[in-house]
Amino acid sequence: MSNARPRLDAMRPSQPGPTRTADPRPPDKFPGRGNYLGYVLFGSCGVFLLLSSILVLRIVWALAAGEAAWNDLMAQFQNPIYVAYHVLAFVGLVWFTLRFFSLFPKTQPAKIGPAPRPPDAFFAVALNGAFAVVTAALAAILWGAVL
Amino acid sequence: MAELIRHDLVIVGGGAAGLRAAIAAVEADPDITVALVSKVYPMRSHTVSAEGGAAAVAREDDSLEMHAYDTVKGSDFLGDQDVIQYFVEQAPRELTQLEHWGCPWSRNEDGTVSTRAFGGMTTKRTWYATDKVGFHLLHSLFQASMQFDRIVRYDEIFVSKLLVDGGVCRGVAGLEVRTGEMKAIVGGAVILTTGGAGKAWPFTTNGNIKTGDGMALAYREGVPLKDMEFVQYHPTGLPGTGILITEATRGEGGYLINSDGERFLTTRDYGVGSKAELGPRDMISRAIVQEIAAGRGIEGAHGQFVHLDLRHLGEEKIDTRLPFVRLLGRTYVGVDPVHEPIPIRPVLHYMMGGVDTDIDGATDLPGLYAAGEVACVSMNGANRLGSNSLTECLVFGARSGQHALGFVKGSDAGSDAALSAQADEEGGRLEALRGKKGSETIAGLRQELHDTMEAGMGVYREQGGMAKTVQDVQQLKARYADLGLADQSKVFNTELVAALELRNLLDVAEANSIAGLQRKESRGAHACSDYPTRNDAEYLHHSLVYFNEGGEGRYDKKDVTLGRWEPEERKY
Amino acid sequence: MEGETKKTFVVTRFDPDQDEAPRTDTYEITVQPDWKVLDALNHIKDHVDPTLSHRWSCRMAVCGSCGMNVNGEPKLTCKDALSDYGDTVEVAPLANFPVIRDLVVEMEGFMEKFKAVKPWIMVAKERAIEEGTYRQSPEELDAFKQFSMCINCMLCYSACPVVSAEPDFLGPAAIALGHRYNQDSRDEGNAERNEVFRDDGGVFACSFANECSEVCPKNVDPSGAVQQAKLLNVIDWATGLVVSRGGK
Repeated sequence: MSNARPRLDAMRPSQPGPTRTADPRPPDKFPGRGNYLGYVLFGSCGVFLLLSSILVLRIVWALAAGEAAWNDLMAQFQNPIYVAYHVLAFVGLVWFTLRFFSLFPKTQPAKIGPAPRPPDAFFAVALNGAFAVVTAALAAILWGAVL
Repeated sequence: MAELIRHDLVIVGGGAAGLRAAIAAVEADPDITVALVSKVYPMRSHTVSAEGGAAAVAREDDSLEMHAYDTVKGSDFLGDQDVIQYFVEQAPRELTQLEHWGCPWSRNEDGTVSTRAFGGMTTKRTWYATDKVGFHLLHSLFQASMQFDRIVRYDEIFVSKLLVDGGVCRGVAGLEVRTGEMKAIVGGAVILTTGGAGKAWPFTTNGNIKTGDGMALAYREGVPLKDMEFVQYHPTGLPGTGILITEATRGEGGYLINSDGERFLTTRDYGVGSKAELGPRDMISRAIVQEIAAGRGIEGAHGQFVHLDLRHLGEEKIDTRLPFVRLLGRTYVGVDPVHEPIPIRPVLHYMMGGVDTDIDGATDLPGLYAAGEVACVSMNGANRLGSNSLTECLVFGARSGQHALGFVKGSDAGSDAALSAQADEEGGRLEALRGKKGSETIAGLRQELHDTMEAGMGVYREQGGMAKTVQDVQQLKARYADLGLADQSKVFNTELVAALELRNLLDVAEANSIAGLQRKESRGAHACSDYPTRNDAEYLHHSLVYFNEGGEGRYDKKDVTLGRWEPEERKY
Repeated sequence: MEGETKKTFVVTRFDPDQDEAPRTDTYEITVQPDWKVLDALNHIKDHVDPTLSHRWSCRMAVCGSCGMNVNGEPKLTCKDALSDYGDTVEVAPLANFPVIRDLVVEMEGFMEKFKAVKPWIMVAKERAIEEGTYRQSPEELDAFKQFSMCINCMLCYSACPVVSAEPDFLGPAAIALGHRYNQDSRDEGNAERNEVFRDDGGVFACSFANECSEVCPKNVDPSGAVQQAKLLNVIDWATGLVVSRGGK
C-alpha cells in the first residue's frame, strides 16, 4: 500500500470522477497467494518451450551436418548441465500439461454446435489417458524399444 | 448553488418497482428521458434479497378469480378489491414480460415456466428461479433497463426532500454522497419506489438501506401514510441476524417443529386448518410465538426458536430448489438443512402500509406517485400473501410509470428558480447537520427506537405497549434535534446519510405506532391482545396518518373498496 | 457472551480532503463468536469511530455491496467469518480499484464494462406478451444458469492480475455476463456481443490465472466463462473463414 508501487489505471472510469481518488493498487500478496504462483509458473514454463525449440533446431542442424556433428552433439548432451536442464524441462512440462488438463473441462461450453458437453470425468480420463499413452510411446521410441 | 438537472420524469429508487416504472415510461414515449435516482447502485436494491417467488396465474387448474379471492382473504378483507382485480389480471403479463427480458425462471421438463406452492395460495402459482427470485428479477430488470439510454441513472444520491412548487411535486433535492453536494433533479412528476422501513425494528429480514425514505419524504409533504399498523412478520428468519429463510421451504414441503418434535400446525388449532405450513404468514408467525410462550421453544444463543425441518425433502430437491437456503443455513447458523433442522423465529419482513395511493399510483400531492413496498395501493390490506409483492412491484411500477407520464404531459415545467432555491435551502440544512455538535448518537437513538418498536409493535400488540411506543417515538424525535455527528468530510459521508435515514425511520415509526394504537381490533397482521377479534362494524376501514409539524401525527380513516366478496370469517 | 474475544483490526483509511494517500487506523474491539468481518466494521462505525466509511446492505451475501480485501484476499465481508482469522485482521478496499474514501471504491469503471457487453436479451423480432413465455428446457437453462448468478461484488476484479496490467480488459464479471446472454436460448445477440469480446481488452486479453473463480463467493466460475467465450469465438471466426456469412 506504499506510494512506491506503480500507478495503475486498472478499473478507472473513462472520465475521472468528481472527487480525487487514491490510486488502485495491484492485487495484494501477488504472486505469493492463491493461484498466482501456479499462474506465474505456468507462464514461466514457456521458457522450456523456447529453449527446447532451439535445441530441436540444433538437433536438426546436427543431423544435416553429418555423423561427426551428430556424435559431437550427443557427447555434449552428456554434460550435467544438459541433463539437469532436461530433467527440469521434463518435470516442468509434465506439470504444465497436468495443470492445463485440470483447467480444461471448464473451458468447454455447454454445447459446441449440437454436441452437448460430456461430463467432467470424461475429460479427466480422456486427457490424462491420452497423455499417458503418448508419453509412454515417446519414451519407448527414445529408449529404442520400438522402431 | 445546487446544480439543477432536468428530465421529463424523476424516479426515486432503483429496485423492481423503480426500474419497471422507468422502462414503462420510456417505452410509452420515445421522446422522454427519465432520471432514475437511487441511494445505491440499482443492483444493491433490496429487491435482491427476495427469495421464494412471484405470483401470477399460470396453470390450467388456476384462475384469476381464485388468485383474487386468495389475496382478498389473505388481506383479511382490507384489500381494495378493484385494485386486487387489476393486479391479478396484469400479473401474468408482467411475469411473461420479465421472461422475455431474460429472467431465468425455473422450468418444467416441457420448457414451460414452473410454479410452486406458497402460503395462502390455493394452488401452485408462484413463479420461481430456484430460491433467488428477487435477485434474478432485479438483475434481469436492471440489465434490460441498460439498453435504454433515455433512462439516466443517478446512483448514490440520497434524496432528502421533495421539491414542491405551486402545489405540484416537480422534483427532488438529493445529496450526492460522493461529493457531499446537493443536486436538484426535476421533472414533470416524481415516482417514489424506495421500499419499506424494516430497519425501524431490530430484528428484520430487511437490509441496511430499508429506512423508509420515500414514506418519510411524502409524509413530511403532507401526503398521508395508509395502513401503517400492518407490518408483516415472516415466520422463518434466522435467530440473531434475522436473515430470511424463504417461505418456499414450506412450499416445497418443509415442516415446522417444536421442542417436542411435534408438527404443531397440524396438531393444534392455529386457524390454518389443513393448509398447515402453507397457511398465511400472519397466522403462522403467531403460532410460533404461541408455541414459544407455551414453553415448546428451543433455547439458543439469541433467544427461543422453533425448527424448520427440510430433511425429508432430500439433498437433491434442496440443491435444485433451495440452494440459497442451504448456503444461508451453513454460513449464518452453521446448520446444513440436508442433515439438521434450521432454527427459525418470526422476523419483521414487510410493510403492508405506505404512501396512500390510488390504483394509478397517484398520491394526494399532484405530481407525486408511489409504487412497490413504499406505497399502499391497498392490494395487501392487513396481511400480504407471500410472492404477491414482487409481482406488485412490476404491475404497479409499470402503471405508475405510465400514469405519471400522463401527468407530465398535462403539466407545466414549473419555475427553475423556485426549485433551485428550495434545493439550496435543503443543501444548507444538510451542511449544518454534517459534523454538527450534540450529545445524542445515531447508534444510541437507533437502539432506543429498536427497543420501543420491538416492545410495542411486535407480532402481538397491546394498547399499553403501543401507547408507550407512541410516546417514546415522540421523545426520540425531540432528542434527534440534539444529535451529534463526528464526520466532517464531504466525501462519502455515510454518517450524514445514516443521520438522515434515522430521521426517516423516526417519522415512519410515528405513523406506525399512531395507526396501531387507533385500531382496537385484531385483523391480519395487527394482533391486538386487548381486542382479539376482528370488528368489521367499526374498523373495516383504512387508517391514514398525516404529518403534523412539531407535534404528533393526525389520524384519519378511509373507506375500503369492497366488491364481489363481502367480509367473512377468515379461516383456512 | 460466551466465546467473545478481542481482535485488532487494521483498517485502510483515506479521506481525499485530508490524506495524500491511504493510511491505516487500528481498532481493538471485542468480537462475538458468530460475527462476520462486516459485523466488526459496523461495530466500529457505531461505537468506536463514526467516520469510518464502507458500503453494505443485505448482510446475506446477495446484494454484493460489501466486497473488500481481508488479509489480502478479496472477500464478501458479510459472508466471511471472523473465526477464520487470527488476532489481527487487515481490512483494505478492493485492489485494482481507485479508492473514493476508506473502504469505498470507484465503481463507474466497472459499470462501463458491465454495459459494454450488452447484457440484455437481443432478438430480431420482439416477442409479443400474448405469445406467452418462450419454451426453454431445463438443459437450455443449465447452459447459462451458473453465469447468471453474479452479484456484481467485483471481488474477481480485485483478484485479477490482468485487470492490473490491462486497463481496457472487460474483466471476469462482465465477460461472464455477456457469455450468460450468449448462452441463453432466448437470445440472438451473439454476433454483436462477440464483436465486443474479440476487441482489444476482450476475452483474449485473459491469460487464465483462474483466481477470479477462486475468490468468487457465488461459484459463478467467471474464468470458465471467459475460456468458453474464447473457444466459441475461435470456432465462430474459423467458421466465418470457411462459410461466408454474407451481409455482416
